[in-house]
Amino acid sequence: MPDSGYPWPIETSRLDNGLRVVVSEDRTAPAVAVNLWYDVGSRHEPDGQTGFAHLFEHLMFEGSVNVAKTEHMKLIQGSGGSLNATTNPDRTNYFETVPAEHLELALWLEADRMGGLVPALTQETLDNQRDVVKNERRQRYENVPYGDAWLRLLPLLYPPGHPYHHSTIGSMADLNAADLATFQAFHETYYAPNNAVLTVVGDAAAAEVFALADKYFGALPAREDIPPAPDGRTVPATARPAVETVTADVPAPRVYVAHRGYPFGSPGYDVLTVLATVLGSGRGSRLYQRLADGERIAQPDLVGAYGVDLAHAPAPLIATATARPGVSAERLAEGLAEVVDELATVPVTAAELDRAKALLSTAWWRQMSTVDGRADTLGRYTTQFGDPARAADRLPAWLAVTAEQIAEAAAEVLDAPNRATLTYVPEETA
Amino acid sequence: MTLIADRPGPGAARPYRFPPVVRRAVAGGQVVAAHLPGQNLAVALLLLDAGAARELAGKEGLGGVLAKALEEGTAQRDATAYALAIEALGTELVTGLDWDSFQVSVQVPVDRLTAAVQLLAEAVRTPKLDPADVRRVRDDEATALRMDWANPGPRADAALRADLFGAENRWGRPMYGDPDSVAGLDVEDVTVFHSEWFLRPGTLIVAGDLDRIDLDALAAAAFSGTGGGPADRGGPIDVPLRGGRRIILVDRPGSVQSTLRLGHPSPHRAHPDHVPMTLAGTVLGGAFTSRLNHLIREVRGYTYGIRADFASSRRFGRFAVSSGVQTAVTTPALVEAVGEITRTQVGGVTEDELAVARSWRAGQLSVELQSPRAIASALTTLVVHDLPDDYHARLREELLAADVDQVSAAAATHLHPDALTLVVEGDAAIIRDDLTAAGLGDLVTRP
Repeated sequence: MPDSGYPWPIETSRLDNGLRVVVSEDRTAPAVAVNLWYDVGSRHEPDGQTGFAHLFEHLMFEGSVNVAKTEHMKLIQGSGGSLNATTNPDRTNYFETVPAEHLELALWLEADRMGGLVPALTQETLDNQRDVVKNERRQRYENVPYGDAWLRLLPLLYPPGHPYHHSTIGSMADLNAADLATFQAFHETYYAPNNAVLTVVGDAAAAEVFALADKYFGALPAREDIPPAPDGRTVPATARPAVETVTADVPAPRVYVAHRGYPFGSPGYDVLTVLATVLGSGRGSRLYQRLADGERIAQPDLVGAYGVDLAHAPAPLIATATARPGVSAERLAEGLAEVVDELATVPVTAAELDRAKALLSTAWWRQMSTVDGRADTLGRYTTQFGDPARAADRLPAWLAVTAEQIAEAAAEVLDAPNRATLTYVPEETA
Repeated sequence: MTLIADRPGPGAARPYRFPPVVRRAVAGGQVVAAHLPGQNLAVALLLLDAGAARELAGKEGLGGVLAKALEEGTAQRDATAYALAIEALGTELVTGLDWDSFQVSVQVPVDRLTAAVQLLAEAVRTPKLDPADVRRVRDDEATALRMDWANPGPRADAALRADLFGAENRWGRPMYGDPDSVAGLDVEDVTVFHSEWFLRPGTLIVAGDLDRIDLDALAAAAFSGTGGGPADRGGPIDVPLRGGRRIILVDRPGSVQSTLRLGHPSPHRAHPDHVPMTLAGTVLGGAFTSRLNHLIREVRGYTYGIRADFASSRRFGRFAVSSGVQTAVTTPALVEAVGEITRTQVGGVTEDELAVARSWRAGQLSVELQSPRAIASALTTLVVHDLPDDYHARLREELLAADVDQVSAAAATHLHPDALTLVVEGDAAIIRDDLTAAGLGDLVTRP
């Protein structure tokens, strides 16, 4: 069993304006990953502004004081780099991996949009990116079978007013209502150095990165009164199952069974990570063995279980299955619930536990096998837990989970009265 | 001012290096390995000359069914015992298929690689292929394809491919088959395909810390019980261009977006214009700041994204544009896309655009080739296309040396805006009249 999931050096620094800088040197490849986590996500959005954090992420690529519209993409790709950004309920991350000689360019670009976005933001840019995001919503959520499952699960799991109640993509109505002043204020409020973590991993020395970070970010002002998101740590138990059935243009019945578990980063979340792997990863998992192979009521490639790694409230744990031809939604839902329920009553065997831990070990080292995977991990642990070195604890923590802990967590979390069940039924059979 | 206005230039460039490649003939097969010192994870991939092009027309999807059937038990253990054994090592059996090859791989912490390759070989060389299991797997695959084909895209892809290459040819049909072709396979198709193509040794690709890997032991496991030599792979296929543009409308009632697939045939992989053609495709639709993405997404806001590329296999290739656009702007998006393709064919590329394209493609050879999985994939390119160990370093030099004249000439030669097939999968009742009126080409409607 490894003592550490992070056998590379980590050095940290904090600029006077509060920007935390994390560096992990690795000279294996002539590439360097630059990653910024901003501690703002859709959980910060008030009513009527759903989708704003994500639309804002798009605006960050559209130019800043010293960078023309679309020049950010052009300069990074024109240096040979890869880049992207993502927004989720918890946070927004921006990242690029470049050949090592372009590290300074990447830092200059990131500093310019952290400190100089607002003067460059125009109504034309906002209108254009609003259209792009509405097309993203159509493409990823509206125009594909089952595409809106996540949008439907969230309000079943979290009550109105809870920071996870609404989805990150937001509603079309709110996106249509977005005005320029709101986005200017959004940047001024959240895109401050003391609300961000800069992580650099790869072919660069820590001293060099700290000096460059100070050069480009050091003069940006801190903001002292960043408003926190609403507290979501306590979600009132409903003691009543939430059930939604959707009749839609889908090719087969599909069922999602979801529960609120524990926040990412807690010992309970580690237990649920192993539990989800026992339940739903691979052909040796309980769902595959019971529903796809055993009773043969579920399509083999479409059974699964996974946790969603959110850190600011009890995070969702989701199990899903899709019916084989001739199997009803009711029969499938019954079978899925039965296998989930048995986690509390049928002890996980040593073989099941070893299998899950082996799969998780590989998944961990896969994430660590690239400089960009490592940079995002260190940025996460610094942002959410205040210490990048805690990344090293995750793998050993998974490997220490016991069958007894899984049974206890199952009894506490997978309780039928606290279950949300979302069922899709094809139109023609309704 | 708190920001630094001057954009920094690059520091000293680091030398490019692809990991050292080791080639070895062992136990009747070939081993091609890359040394990744200190890497905890390792990948082994068995590459077989059993790609989709080996399937006969009418039998498409056979490789996909066989891939799944490999895991339904072996000569030594049943399906459940096999799943538990291989997953206990931390890996699943990952199968992949393209026109030129069939790939089976494992990815594990390096100390478990030999055991994982033994299990990989057990499934590939000695699968049980019990008739009842094969029939069930076939039915599941047909259902899986039917579910996949409920998404926008697969029907449009199939319509484009058939129009470009002719549905009478295997390469004019979907690479993974369609729900009907898979449903029509029988047990013997699967067992015969296995004995014909899966018992030849093939090539074992390994990416990992070779100081901790016994390549001879891996090869002995991978090639045990194999026989037969390489089979003739055939030469490039001459695919004629169409005489004029045409539009194929695939109806998807109620769709809020139209899925666009535009394309025409293009050269095979070994064509001498491969590099300048790739760069022309990058300028037109590969990079984020490409002409198509800039116009259709960043200026017009019609789409979340649009891309274009030349893709090629050993025997044929195609140029294609793909996107999803809001239903109401389907026709203007098509008109503008065809306009950009035409402009690029006629006027070539600029130095400014090419500078981005060549640096990006060259830099990606450092940036994207980090993980054992990515390195293994790069090694398969060497094997499938008979390329030398220093191919990636040479490719990098060729990319960086390509000039405006070469790339513009490739655009002029290999783009054919007047021979494009424009496939539109969307709500026909809403978009048909506009499409007809636009005069982009004759309209053909598919159910």
